[in-house]
Amino acid sequence: MSIGATTFEALSKVPKPALVIVGGFVFVGIAAPWLTPHDPLAQDLLASNQGPSADHWLGTDHLGRDTLSRLIAAARTSVVGMALVLGFALTIGIGLGTLAGYARRWVEELIMRIVDVGMAIPSLIVALAVIGIFGTGYWNMIIALALAWWPAFARISRAVAVNVMNRPHIEALRVMGASPARIYFLHLLPSTTGAVLVYATADAGALALAIATLSFLGLGIQPPTPEWGQMLVDGLRFLEASPRQVILPGLALTFVVIGFNLLGESIALNRVPRPLGKRLLDRGRRIAAAWSER
Amino acid sequence: MSTLVLRRVRHSIVLLILASILCFGLVVSAPGNIAVLIAELRTPGATFEDIRKIEEEIGLNDPLPLRYFDWLGGALQGDFGISYKTGEPVGKAMASRLSTTAILISGGSLFGLLLSFALGFAGAMRPYGLIDSMTRSLALLGASMPSFFVGAMLTYAFAVELRLLPSFGLSGPASLVMPWITIGLLPAAVLSRVVRVGLEEAMSKPYAITAASKGLAKRTILFRDALPNMAPTYINAWGTQTALMVVGSIVVEPLFAWHGVGDLFLQGVRFRDFMVVQACLLIFITFFITLNLLVDIGMMLTDPKLRRQGA
Repeated sequence: MSIGATTFEALSKVPKPALVIVGGFVFVGIAAPWLTPHDPLAQDLLASNQGPSADHWLGTDHLGRDTLSRLIAAARTSVVGMALVLGFALTIGIGLGTLAGYARRWVEELIMRIVDVGMAIPSLIVALAVIGIFGTGYWNMIIALALAWWPAFARISRAVAVNVMNRPHIEALRVMGASPARIYFLHLLPSTTGAVLVYATADAGALALAIATLSFLGLGIQPPTPEWGQMLVDGLRFLEASPRQVILPGLALTFVVIGFNLLGESIALNRVPRPLGKRLLDRGRRIAAAWSER
Repeated sequence: MSTLVLRRVRHSIVLLILASILCFGLVVSAPGNIAVLIAELRTPGATFEDIRKIEEEIGLNDPLPLRYFDWLGGALQGDFGISYKTGEPVGKAMASRLSTTAILISGGSLFGLLLSFALGFAGAMRPYGLIDSMTRSLALLGASMPSFFVGAMLTYAFAVELRLLPSFGLSGPASLVMPWITIGLLPAAVLSRVVRVGLEEAMSKPYAITAASKGLAKRTILFRDALPNMAPTYINAWGTQTALMVVGSIVVEPLFAWHGVGDLFLQGVRFRDFMVVQACLLIFITFFITLNLLVDIGMMLTDPKLRRQGA
């Protein structure tokens, strides 16, 4: 089966709401500069705190900035941040995970003990600690989140890599005299990467939430760059006068996280055909496992 | 059983030691000279000589292993060094704040426990019925709403509009309600799914069908047979969620102006107060690893298969 057909098949199995929300989020994030009706940074103090109107569909904030434009631009901030963090974290995680799965012995022992410590601490606390030591800033946030997220990817990569290394075709390659580099780069790495990417997609919602939480705490995206968590904390000061400034970014964020949670649930289901009855049950068990591991 | 527990305890101790090295390493790897920071704090415009003296005083010139054991020895006795920002001992600030965080997490945990069982059982009484799909949607919403949004919405509804509850501070029972709900909603949502799915699985097992064929009421089977059987799964998930409440406390405490450890950690991170960050991190990690250990022992006690395995 070609890669295109496989991808299409995988997408057709994802529940429609998840596909629409996550797809919409990524699309808005990428196309944000062409979608915003106004400049998200342009202030107009004469038109501050306005309600919805034909010109400003969702009203304006306390500095007269168009709320709809800021919400759209925030999606871009989020998508770009997530892509960067996932890029770094996946590189480190897959690299060390496959190395552990390939080398075994003390290399594996060493890497996996570090991963154990990383997994014992919730990701957001790791990220906060790194920011606490190296200071706030956009790149510090990206690196802090990547450092917090890689252990999970490393653990999955290792599990998949060990599985792949135990398959007969690897043994056959060895017997035929394939070099370690050939086995690692041409056979182990590609098959591991695919499996880990699926897991990363399921986990992306937590990452979106982490970026928003850090920004809410004033340690992530800094003003004036629009970001949902940061917009929310900005609006919190005017909760009494215009609750809209808190509700709208909060709803946008909740909506996106719902999409990712549905997606993660369907990925955890794995959808292997089973006899009826038992299938429903197994589905339930996988859902429970997916939720309890969060 | 006992060997299994011992092995688990040993694993936890190794993890704790590794984690303490990580805490120590994080501060050692921090850019900049700590002595300069302290000198600036004590006397603005400190000379090179003052800095040299402080370096000697806090042992910055000692070899790393010695510094690690010095720090760990102090930490074990509750001495976490001096805060760079306030100039006060971190251990003292920590001690005065632990109870606040304990109130927050234990209350939130209890709220999560009660709500998750209520929602889970309501759904399991009539699987795939109206109430079940409602609790399912509620769980998805609760698990997806960021806690700061939940807190903000509660504040708007109960403090701004209805003026029923105080929006900040820790004074009297009324001030507990919103923080407890805010921090407990996510665990409640996640755990309700665990209860619901665990009960459904148990109800389809042969023993449950036998019990039903003997004419036992559904409620009796749910409580007497299904409940003990999903206990290990639930305890495991509950432990994970309670550990995650520490993350919640970092958001919820500043939101409601509670002065707990989460708030202290956040202050430390904001002002790059290394000693505070390090101390809080060590406390958090000790909490996580201990909780994990207790959860695993709890699972062994409630799961007869595991109980027999080690005996």
